Amino acid sequence: MDILYIAVNILVFLLLAPLFEGVIRKITARVQSRQGPPVIQPYYDLLKLLGKQNLSAGTVVFKFAPMLALASILGVIVFLPLGYQANYLTKYADVITIIYLLTLGGVSVLLGALSSRNTYAAIGSSREMITMIMVEPVLAMTFILGAVKVKSMGIAASISSVTAGGYGASVIVMMAAYLMALQAFVGRQPFDIAEAEVEILEGPFIEYSGPNYALFKYYLILKQMFYAALFVIVFIPPFKTGWYGADVLIQMAFVLVVFIGIALMGATHPRLRIDQAQKFYAVLIAASLAAVGLSVYGI
Amino acid sequence: MLTIEEVKTRLKNKYQSAVKKFEQPYGTRLYADIDKSKVREISNEIIGMGGRYLVSVGYDNIARDKTLGLIHAFSLDRDDIFVCLRTAAPVDNPTFDSITPDIPNAGWSEREYMDLLGMKFSGHPKPKRLILADDWPEGVYPLRKEVPWNLMPPPAENVAYQLDEAPEGCTTIPVGPFHPTLHEPAHFAVYVDGETIKGCDYRGFMVHRGLEKLCQTQLTYNEIPFVAERICGICGSVHATSYSQAVEMAAGFRISRRAEFIRTIMLEIERVHSHLLWLGVAGHLIGFDTIFMQAWRVREAIMWFGEKLTGNRKTYGMIVVGGVRRDISPELKDELLGILKTIEKELVTIHKAIVGDSSIHRRTKGVGRITTDETRLWSLVGPVARARGVDIDTRRDHPYAAYDEMRFDVPVVDSCDVWGTVVVRILETFEAIKIIRQALDTMPAGPTMTEFAEDIKPYQHAITAVEAPRGEVVHYLISGEENRPERWRVRAPTYPNLQGVPAMLLGDQFADLPIIIGSIDPCFSCTDRVVKVDIRSGRISNLTGGELETISRAKKLAGR
Repeated sequence: MDILYIAVNILVFLLLAPLFEGVIRKITARVQSRQGPPVIQPYYDLLKLLGKQNLSAGTVVFKFAPMLALASILGVIVFLPLGYQANYLTKYADVITIIYLLTLGGVSVLLGALSSRNTYAAIGSSREMITMIMVEPVLAMTFILGAVKVKSMGIAASISSVTAGGYGASVIVMMAAYLMALQAFVGRQPFDIAEAEVEILEGPFIEYSGPNYALFKYYLILKQMFYAALFVIVFIPPFKTGWYGADVLIQMAFVLVVFIGIALMGATHPRLRIDQAQKFYAVLIAASLAAVGLSVYGI
Repeated sequence: MLTIEEVKTRLKNKYQSAVKKFEQPYGTRLYADIDKSKVREISNEIIGMGGRYLVSVGYDNIARDKTLGLIHAFSLDRDDIFVCLRTAAPVDNPTFDSITPDIPNAGWSEREYMDLLGMKFSGHPKPKRLILADDWPEGVYPLRKEVPWNLMPPPAENVAYQLDEAPEGCTTIPVGPFHPTLHEPAHFAVYVDGETIKGCDYRGFMVHRGLEKLCQTQLTYNEIPFVAERICGICGSVHATSYSQAVEMAAGFRISRRAEFIRTIMLEIERVHSHLLWLGVAGHLIGFDTIFMQAWRVREAIMWFGEKLTGNRKTYGMIVVGGVRRDISPELKDELLGILKTIEKELVTIHKAIVGDSSIHRRTKGVGRITTDETRLWSLVGPVARARGVDIDTRRDHPYAAYDEMRFDVPVVDSCDVWGTVVVRILETFEAIKIIRQALDTMPAGPTMTEFAEDIKPYQHAITAVEAPRGEVVHYLISGEENRPERWRVRAPTYPNLQGVPAMLLGDQFADLPIIIGSIDPCFSCTDRVVKVDIRSGRISNLTGGELETISRAKKLAGR
């Protein structure tokens, strides 16, 4: 049974992530008084890209970077205790593994971008790198907050015990920091700085097209769903019904709510400049550190 | 306040025989024939009187006295006077003193005539090619009468535009010729240190269509308005009005008052839709697409009305020499009033949202900063100047059409940055709505077209300015024989404003580049009026066409 849960994790993510992306696009369109594309448009986009000719900048790294990115995000997803069920693999890894794998995904984007030797990709990568370095601590602190409470770095233990003992000051601060970092995690306004279409034309991805780009796109929307799901799993208290399927569905309903929030936030903000964003991230890091500090004292 | 007589006396007393003749065919225009050697001094004198440099006009006078003519036009904004300094140099040695060292905005005009007429300007700080394509052969000057309008000379080999040297330690980021920030082709080589802009070089005029030459050789007075309005994709009526006024002025002819009112309404309709368009684009450029979509939705109503009124979605085909082609019926008047009411209401909402949004302030305040003095020095115009404390507006300073009867405010702010241009443009839209309402209310009855009684005398000079949404448009016309202009020079507002952009970019972040270039509401098609230019993707390299082809093919194969 434990092994089956792994398959469920992957299937749920692969199938629903484009749908949530579609929800974002639809809501953005409604805010902008537009009709918007059908919610299932992202599936079409991916299929269409997969059917196109693969253009390469010629290096091996350029070709493998998208696969590495997709593989690493899938690697993260399998460990997730979806439906409050730890699966067969969860116990073999700890939160450090998750952080490493997430970073690996980001690094693949950088490698692919830099191997294309495009000026815009280079600017995009440097912005992406700054974003990664500055928002990752918020994620790490979230895990550590749980780890401090149960004195374990295990995934299931640390993730599910952040809210154990109720919503103290530390949890509230951490939750706020996470929510504010969410737009940066998923690369949406006001923090879509690395891709900034009108300045650097999608930055790191400028040279990508066809199936390679489809893999990156899939990576991005999976990553986006991962961060939204992680918020739900960590900060929303469990509604255990006893049926695994129902639990997963309830969680997905919450994820949808998080996505609506992301869409509204994105549609009502302009893009910040990287120097302005850095100041903002610094505040978030300080807040998340404070949250862990508070939790050590049991607040 | 100076009167035209005082200007004449001052010039006469100070420069004596260097000022040969004055011509004053129209109350507010002064044409002075001056000696070539005193061009720079007298230009500075006019600037000293409070003059503002507009444009230079070069023309071929070889057939009549073997000279190339050059005119520097200035506006004395406080006194409602245009001063045009006319001079000439023999065609075998067409050298003039450059006025660019004192009046930097003349830089492009002078470069234009180096390219197009083969003039030389001693002391010009940057005598590079501006307009002609890189592969246009040396020694062929397209604006000279001897060159046919459709000449296609064999291209010169192995030539490429040499960008300015990048400052030490800087990377060059190519922006253009095709880039989402630029909605038309133009090329900025931006020199950045990290993400801070340290300089930039501009190579534009890639869509120069040779309109001036075409109209001077192929079309007639009455046909030109339809080409003039196609100079710009937005300000159609502006160019058509400005041209028509110049012809009417050269003919010494007045159109009916009702036609003047309708022109005023058309110009203000254009301002409303242009500013809404800009607001949307500006939102898009700072990554705020909701403003983009909402502003364009609000704008749509007036576009539909434009189609009803003129037969074109854009305000084309309405203004001709002698008046306007269509009347505004009482039904259309009511409909327009209704549309304005809706637009005003929705614009108030958008205005409030923008003023209350701190993140927009963060992206626009202190960005693209230049001082009021620099703005004056560079002779910038329109909302770009008014956002930097320069109180100029042709509608008020040199009234034309029915603006002498309109009551309106000219919004001026002194924040000296991009935010200022946002505020100025929004406030101007409200003013434009106000003007349309007044014009509709007080429009007198009468014919819309007036026929010319007699032919236009040749070699009459006329200069007119119209306040376009982007700033002031200047048209200079010398009437000719054969029922067409001898010389017609158009200066769109982007022409001076684009020259000020490098100063605005200096020291700002690369992420601010789109909104800074966007803040002047650049219109490259207006600025480029004459030849296709081919430059490489922007990297400084000397690839030949064949090499480029080989490389791109190899790249394609590698991906298979």
